[in-house]
Amino acid sequence: MTVDLDKYAKPGKDHYIALGLEGSANKLGVGVIRHNLGQLSSNNRAQVLSNVRDTYITPPGEGFLPRDTARHHRNWVVRIIKRALIDAKIKGTDIDCICFTQGPGMGAPLQSVVIAARTLAQLWGDIPLVGVNHCIGHIEMGREITGADNPVVLYVSGGNTQVIAYSKQRYRIFGETLDIAIGNCLDRFARTLKIPNEPAPGYNIEQMAKKGKHLINLPYTVKGMDLSMSGILGYIDQLAKEMFGKQAKKVVDETTGEPITAEDLCFSLQEILFSMLVEITERALAHVNSNQVLIVGGVGSNERLQEMMKLMIQDRKNGQIYATDERFCIDNGIMIAHAGLLSYRTGQTNDIKDTVCTQRFRTDEVFIKWRDD
Amino acid sequence: MTDRLVSQIQNHLPNIPVQVVSQGAEALVFQTSVHPYIDKPYLKNQGKYIIKYRPSKPYRHPTIDASITKNRTIGEVKFMNKLTKLGINAPSVISADYNRGIIWMEFLGTELTNGDISSLKNWLWYLEKNESKEKCLNDQVQSVCRKVGKLIGKLHLNDMIHGDLTSSNIILEDFEPALIDFGLSSYSGLSEDKAVDLYVLERAILSTHSVFSDHYNQWLLEGYEEIHKEFSKQGGTKKYVETYRKLEDVRLRGRKRSMLG
Repeated sequence: MTVDLDKYAKPGKDHYIALGLEGSANKLGVGVIRHNLGQLSSNNRAQVLSNVRDTYITPPGEGFLPRDTARHHRNWVVRIIKRALIDAKIKGTDIDCICFTQGPGMGAPLQSVVIAARTLAQLWGDIPLVGVNHCIGHIEMGREITGADNPVVLYVSGGNTQVIAYSKQRYRIFGETLDIAIGNCLDRFARTLKIPNEPAPGYNIEQMAKKGKHLINLPYTVKGMDLSMSGILGYIDQLAKEMFGKQAKKVVDETTGEPITAEDLCFSLQEILFSMLVEITERALAHVNSNQVLIVGGVGSNERLQEMMKLMIQDRKNGQIYATDERFCIDNGIMIAHAGLLSYRTGQTNDIKDTVCTQRFRTDEVFIKWRDD
Repeated sequence: MTDRLVSQIQNHLPNIPVQVVSQGAEALVFQTSVHPYIDKPYLKNQGKYIIKYRPSKPYRHPTIDASITKNRTIGEVKFMNKLTKLGINAPSVISADYNRGIIWMEFLGTELTNGDISSLKNWLWYLEKNESKEKCLNDQVQSVCRKVGKLIGKLHLNDMIHGDLTSSNIILEDFEPALIDFGLSSYSGLSEDKAVDLYVLERAILSTHSVFSDHYNQWLLEGYEEIHKEFSKQGGTKKYVETYRKLEDVRLRGRKRSMLG
């Protein structure tokens, strides 16, 4: 890489500091990151100064609604930012730029965080604002933490399911969901089964799936490099309603005759969905001739998915898999700070009038100025 | 590693010499010199055969894996059989083992002067590298491109979709094109699906043969139109107009992802 990343450093300083604000869904995250001058490399890693997060949790059987989530963010944003600054041991005026999630995500929560970002920027004396695409945040943070150089990225979260590869200064989408996202599918199934949302519905499904052993028959819907999940959800939802509703229908395993439990449903759902994800990832790997996979996004912290991906990658020459833990997988402020700072270091900032957030913001719309390979 | 997969197929097919030709995401393609049950088959190429193997995927639950392997193998064999019946150039199926995901089929293609297999891609690359511009755009190239267009037209007239049209999935035998690799094939009468099929090929040509892609694509479409006109009594012309209009739409919308290769 030969992009000059030091043109915009404050005179006399040997580093950059960025504040990142994330609130595209039910997590409110604030992070502070520090880049020393020069290219980021294995000897010059970005330093995480602080990474604070608060999650809006709803009662079992309920999802988070935009209005309530936005209220949660508004109530907490000042406290969380203060906490992040204290943890990082910096003052507001030390910051080079304030980065915020510009999209994609839920409108109301995004907006409340953008307002916080604008206010701070003016309060601390005209600090530049940088709008960040949420998906790019995940990808760049994943690359920085794992050291993966040019991987195929599987981005799986509550709102997104995409297989992405880099080419000519864009992260291009090779395959994606045709209807609902994987996290959405799992969350909604958790709601049907009244599985608690604490700490995360997906996490609880994962724990239950570990106890399941009978596989029920579910549709398998991969279309080339895309996949579809609404049919699977509809099918298993219906079955769950019949089993645990008024009907109390008894379902037994076809081969052993043992009764099917809620754990078995979780197990089957995970097996089928993750098989589909791994398959489209493998297809993308073959297509771009790569052998590195990076898993990012909230669902990426699922150990079964990581295990399946590992099994797939072992069959490929020099295959390598990269995954991060929940600190960086699940939505956080630090990834917004990191991607935003990269953008800032190449001179991309937003005027206040251009800081409007958008619910739809595709990954391949972003021009990746900081890479030129 | 690939070695593990090769030893798997040798387990399934003991005493059959196999050589890896290519590895995709889903399947491995081998070449072999053995026909499973006849010494002198009714095939042009009597010394070489292709074996396509869908290995079981260790990451999938065994039940899911078995059903996927079986269904996809059956689907592909049926598709190829239908092509053979319709007289659309494609390898004929010799034998298949659905449960193990093995398809034994006819070997198509010859060797080019540089030793590569005579796929449309290799042939065009060979010309682009070694010949003058005039030779790259001569009547023979034009006629081959038109024939490919006609072949795809025939496929679409029968409401069959290839799903992964690229210049490497078209094999030339004595300058007669044949289609291969039906792993993503499907059946559809919708002009949208046909248009996407054509668009995928158009993009593939653009990225692999960028210098003369305009000419190639134009000739392909001309052939595609020609075969539809030949079947105008069966509504071919109407179908062509519909598909072409859809193709223009798809081009504009730019099929959400712009791919590399």
